[in-house]
Amino acid sequence: MNLAKLKPGEKGRITAIGAIGPLKRRLMDMGVLVGEVVKVVKVAPMGDPIEVFIKSYNLSLRKNEAEGIAVEVVG
Amino acid sequence: MTVENTPTGNLAEEQAAIPAVPEAEAAPKGVLHPVEKRALTVAVAGNPNAGKSTLINAIAGSRLHVGNWPGVTVEKKEASFDYQGTRIRLVDLPGTYSLSPYTQEEIIARDYLVNERPDLIINVVDATNLERNLYLTVQLLELGIPVVMALNMSDEAAAKGYRIDVAGIEKMMGIKVIATSATKKSGLDELLQGTIATAADLKGHLPHQLNYGTDIEAASGFLTGALNSSHPALLERFPQRWLLLKLIEGDSHVQQEAGLIDAAMLEEALHHLKTAHGEDLESLMAEVRYGLATGLTREVLQKPELAKAELTEKIDRIVLHRFFGIPIFLAAMWIMFKLTFDVSKPFADWISAMISGPFKHLAEALLGMIHAPDWTVSLVTDGIIAGTGNVLVFVPMIFAMMFFITFLEGSGYMARAAFVMDRAMHSIGLHGKSFIPMLLGFGCNVPAIYATRTLENPRDKALTALLVPLMSCGARLPVYVVFIGAFFPAHGGSVLWSLYMMGILLAIVMGFIFKKTIFKGEAPMFIMELPPYRMPSLRSLMIHTWEKGKHFLIKAGTYILAVSIMVWFLLNLPWGVEHKKDSYLGQVGSFVAPTLAPLGFGTWEASSSLIAGLVAKEIVVGTMGEIYVKKEATKEAAKPSVSAELKEAGTSLMKAAQLSVSNVTSTFGFTSLSASEDADKTAERSPLREELKKQFTPVSAYAFIVFVLLYMPCVVAAVAMVHEFGTWKWFGIAFGYQMVLAWGMACIVYQGGRLLGLGG
Repeated sequence: MNLAKLKPGEKGRITAIGAIGPLKRRLMDMGVLVGEVVKVVKVAPMGDPIEVFIKSYNLSLRKNEAEGIAVEVVG
Repeated sequence: MTVENTPTGNLAEEQAAIPAVPEAEAAPKGVLHPVEKRALTVAVAGNPNAGKSTLINAIAGSRLHVGNWPGVTVEKKEASFDYQGTRIRLVDLPGTYSLSPYTQEEIIARDYLVNERPDLIINVVDATNLERNLYLTVQLLELGIPVVMALNMSDEAAAKGYRIDVAGIEKMMGIKVIATSATKKSGLDELLQGTIATAADLKGHLPHQLNYGTDIEAASGFLTGALNSSHPALLERFPQRWLLLKLIEGDSHVQQEAGLIDAAMLEEALHHLKTAHGEDLESLMAEVRYGLATGLTREVLQKPELAKAELTEKIDRIVLHRFFGIPIFLAAMWIMFKLTFDVSKPFADWISAMISGPFKHLAEALLGMIHAPDWTVSLVTDGIIAGTGNVLVFVPMIFAMMFFITFLEGSGYMARAAFVMDRAMHSIGLHGKSFIPMLLGFGCNVPAIYATRTLENPRDKALTALLVPLMSCGARLPVYVVFIGAFFPAHGGSVLWSLYMMGILLAIVMGFIFKKTIFKGEAPMFIMELPPYRMPSLRSLMIHTWEKGKHFLIKAGTYILAVSIMVWFLLNLPWGVEHKKDSYLGQVGSFVAPTLAPLGFGTWEASSSLIAGLVAKEIVVGTMGEIYVKKEATKEAAKPSVSAELKEAGTSLMKAAQLSVSNVTSTFGFTSLSASEDADKTAERSPLREELKKQFTPVSAYAFIVFVLLYMPCVVAAVAMVHEFGTWKWFGIAFGYQMVLAWGMACIVYQGGRLLGLGG
């Protein structure tokens, strides 16, 4: 399961970040860390990018960026 | 460190006596005397959207100087001022989330902090988003520079029911913390006083070294020993703690600067750490730093259990709606577009009328009094004054555009615009935010190029600026109108539509080509915060708009004026030529003409008009009028006196203001103003139309307007590109590809049309 597959309203706990290099560092700098709970808030009108809620703020990222973030669904 | 030579002016003397400079007290009042006063250098660091700009504007206001960081397009703000007898130099660092070496902003911020070593850092922190903001604070502490934290938006945090233990942060980090609200201007005096108090004893206010855990601290200890024996100079050159942590993190920039790439000593020091925590120490460090920020936040922040649905959430439910999101965005853009150009147009027209009217006549009158030769009069009026006008007419537009862009950014809607449009723009290699400069391009390419500054990534920014000129700007319209009037009166709408569409389609094609060639490689990432909506302060908006407008006037204005004077020489020399063909412009036109023959308009008249059009597209029609239509002995209309004209200037300014306001209302009332006006202008051009019919066929006429659509928009746009990017590179590429495109497309149109038997 990865973050791009979650539907709006669904939550997941991050289990791994598959990205490497600058992308990974950028994600981590923005608080996207293993163990963090992330909630998908919205999908943009054209289907990409997505908006997520993490560490008490809203972050948007493209689906291909979200695909590298493995999550387990939490209730 | 900078030592500034400041003549003690009234400002400093009125303030409390400065203990560091006893001479100031001894000297008699009112006498200027140079005093060596050391300015306190304060770097302002913080996350984007933490209210850093508003805070700096509130503190420094009009003393703010806006420029660029050397060699990059990132904005640099600086201000020097006296506060309670201390000279403070504020340097605003770009907003960053971290001090990693990956984005331009982060590199600038860390290079400044490490190499320039400011005396003190003011860290602006968003109190409503403590954890992520403290992640940067943790990294700032590593530098060992005293930090004063401005806990900003504390009013907003309080309204949300947040309770923050200020003393707790102070104690744990060893820094001073002051609650502020930049928008309400509260806590600013306390912040500056706290800064000065800290500065009085910098050594006594060194921040705490936070504990990064046994393994990292052990590696750091080992590294210290190793560096002490092998590279003692390094520990002097860099902030020690920072250097150690960066080496552990594996920061390649630091390794390189320290000359420690692939050093065996590093491998040895990190061996244990890597066996215990894996190879990816960069991620480990990020986790540890976030761990500290999270732990601290847990200690000092009390949040109410249940948060109510916030305003931002409610607005986003509508603005980012699946079906309404795009229509709302387009409506917002349409309003911005209309406001930018309709509000500024009456003022631009007024400036233009003033320049070509009273100012020109005044200059003529003055020069007449000293019996200046004709060519001097022409140089001054048609060259210098007209050139100045050329600069000034853009000012209202630049101001209006900067105002709206700053508003969009400050309010938080810019990020939403990017979110809504990214899918479409990304498909041609652009960023969601690129849409706005592209749209503005239809009004005028010049503000559009400046609007690319809203894009952070240099690649996105350059690519957008390269494609902007393909958006058919308002100045090209008169050319189309004249030709349509002469050749396609029955199909005006379709011809016009085809031109605009051609520009857009070619932008898409060129986007693809650039993506595969000069911008090869992975597209920059999108990862972007969607900040809460906030009302930007009017003061902040005004300061920013004014600074930008001023910058344009001074920097770009100088170039534009120079080019305008050059063109005057081209058009008018050798002095006294009877026939336009013998002027330098005509000669260059004749020289270039054969290259345009395959396009169906290889005459010196057409090529001269196009060359003149490089100055501004409006000039194409004017030049054609001069060249094609035989000059009749025009009767000089009785000139009104200069004083009467100046009186008229006042009333017409009022009229311009009224028109501007009524344009705003008409923006919302769905009416079009310009159509009838354009019709009037075309009527005047009827002799030119007759002449054009003799010189062009419908096919070559269409080829000509296609060429006008595609070749370089104007020198002002060119100057904007050079000015905004600080290099000739992108202008060079834009000029080159547009010439090729213009020639190629016009050639296809003309030759294709002939093949189809449409007549040549």
